[in-house]
Amino acid sequence: MTRTLTFLGLESSCDDTAAAVVRLSEGRAEVLASVVAGQTELHAPFGGVVPELAARAHVEKLDLCAEEALARAGLGLGDLDAVAVTAGPGLIGGVISGVMCAKGIAAGAGLPLIGVNHLAGHALTPRLTHGLAFPYLMLLVSGGHCQFLIVRGPASFSRIGGTIDDAPGEAFDKTAKLLALPQPGGPSVEAEAARGDARRFSFPRPLLDRPGCDMSFSGLKTALLRARDAVMQAGTLRAGDRADLCAGFQAAVADVLAEKSRRALLAYLAENPPTPAFAVAGGVAANRAVRAALETVSLAHGALFVAPPLALCTDNAAMIAWAGIERFRAGIDDATTLSARPRWPLDEAAPAMLGSGKRGAKA
Amino acid sequence: MRSEALILGFDTSAAHCAAALLAGEVLLEARFEAMAKGQAERLMPMLEEMLARAGVGWRDLAALGVGTGPGNFTGVRISVAAARGLALALGIPAVGVSGLEAAAFGLPRPLVVAMDARRGEVYAQAFDPNGAARLATAEALAGELVTGQAVTGSAAPALAGAVPGLRLLDAAMPLSEAVARLAAARRATPQPRPAPLYLRAADAALPGEPAPVIVP
Repeated sequence: MTRTLTFLGLESSCDDTAAAVVRLSEGRAEVLASVVAGQTELHAPFGGVVPELAARAHVEKLDLCAEEALARAGLGLGDLDAVAVTAGPGLIGGVISGVMCAKGIAAGAGLPLIGVNHLAGHALTPRLTHGLAFPYLMLLVSGGHCQFLIVRGPASFSRIGGTIDDAPGEAFDKTAKLLALPQPGGPSVEAEAARGDARRFSFPRPLLDRPGCDMSFSGLKTALLRARDAVMQAGTLRAGDRADLCAGFQAAVADVLAEKSRRALLAYLAENPPTPAFAVAGGVAANRAVRAALETVSLAHGALFVAPPLALCTDNAAMIAWAGIERFRAGIDDATTLSARPRWPLDEAAPAMLGSGKRGAKA
Repeated sequence: MRSEALILGFDTSAAHCAAALLAGEVLLEARFEAMAKGQAERLMPMLEEMLARAGVGWRDLAALGVGTGPGNFTGVRISVAAARGLALALGIPAVGVSGLEAAAFGLPRPLVVAMDARRGEVYAQAFDPNGAARLATAEALAGELVTGQAVTGSAAPALAGAVPGLRLLDAAMPLSEAVARLAAARRATPQPRPAPLYLRAADAALPGEPAPVIVP
């Protein structure tokens, strides 16, 4: 008989303020409540997330989201075993606000506080939703991240590849901005792409000619801008051209992710995992063309394909509460001296791929 | 067990961690630790040390006071977020007190508080029936002040150099003590949740290049 664990999770590392209550009881995990307050309208005029605006919103929403999550779960703080909070990586103003709110809640309620890596939250979600056994292959693909991980344990991740520049979600947002489509770019570009011809424009598939699982998406943005300018006339763009541009761009992203996933699967399967599985997380995994391409590759290699429901794929706090439970069960504990970290690679043993200097590697 | 209400006030709106613990009117503990960074790590342990020295715990507090700035944006958020989290968990009010109100507390009125906001600007508030907190250029504020007026705050000495005959006042008490005393005075009436007082807009540039016009 294992102990029942009920955690409050807080997340504020980008542009979603979130709180959730997750319970693990008799080996079964359950999301009792998950509240996400987005900031899409706040950042829309700027064509991207403005860190200071995000931080200003988080600090006044975090406690409200926590209260709402507890109310929806029908629980009080006295029913909890711990508080888990995203301690990085992410936009530091938001992360600090979340960490301080969590420290206040934990101190006031006399609960342990667990600092969670945001990426670990995404990477451990397939265990919350599907009970996946270690080790499994994970693709994190969002607006801020893109990496392949072999997930070996609650705090054991091997990064076997990732983007060397932009994340695909960022490229979707930029594409939407260049083509006068609403933010966030993922859904709006996908909807346009459904009406377009993916073969009309030929976009590059960066790094496919090189071995390994690393990716690059910044050149794709530039290629899209050039193709757009070539068909624009006096500041106007035909709707049909826009749909074709979206379709071509999306096909390029899906192709790159599928081919790199194939290589990542081969590396993972070479370790002879007992129950092979390939899981995705992050907002870009919600794109149907991308998801279909990844599923095809996964099944072709005999790996179970797992895509958590969208609400648990994009940023949320249930994954943070869950990762907190996993860390807690593994005996990892943090004190109130817990620090917010803007940069925090999951696999600290792997060589730096992005960023360096005194702030350290981004990935 | 103390019968007087325990009020804990704290502030990290500039290069410090500061806090004061009151029992009724009596100041039990006060701390001021200067630091350019590290407030997010230091604040909670410092508050817990103060409570421990006074022989009390979080659950004994009747209210919290928190400095809401203006000042360093991240610094202000550190305290405000902690105060809101503590208030939620303890079921007690957290009262926001601006640094301008705290600087004016205990001084005679009318009074102008002027705090250095860098970039040649000041955070200012006139403590008279019409005064509101605002951001102004130091030059503009100096132009509004007249001989004999009382001023206080970090920008006051520079203003006194520009405007002859200003009366320079020192703060009546340390910032965190003023935050705690104002919170104690206000806690009897319902207070909004503390929110940062930025006064200065966020740095956010609108996109330069217009998006294309879409035609059929």
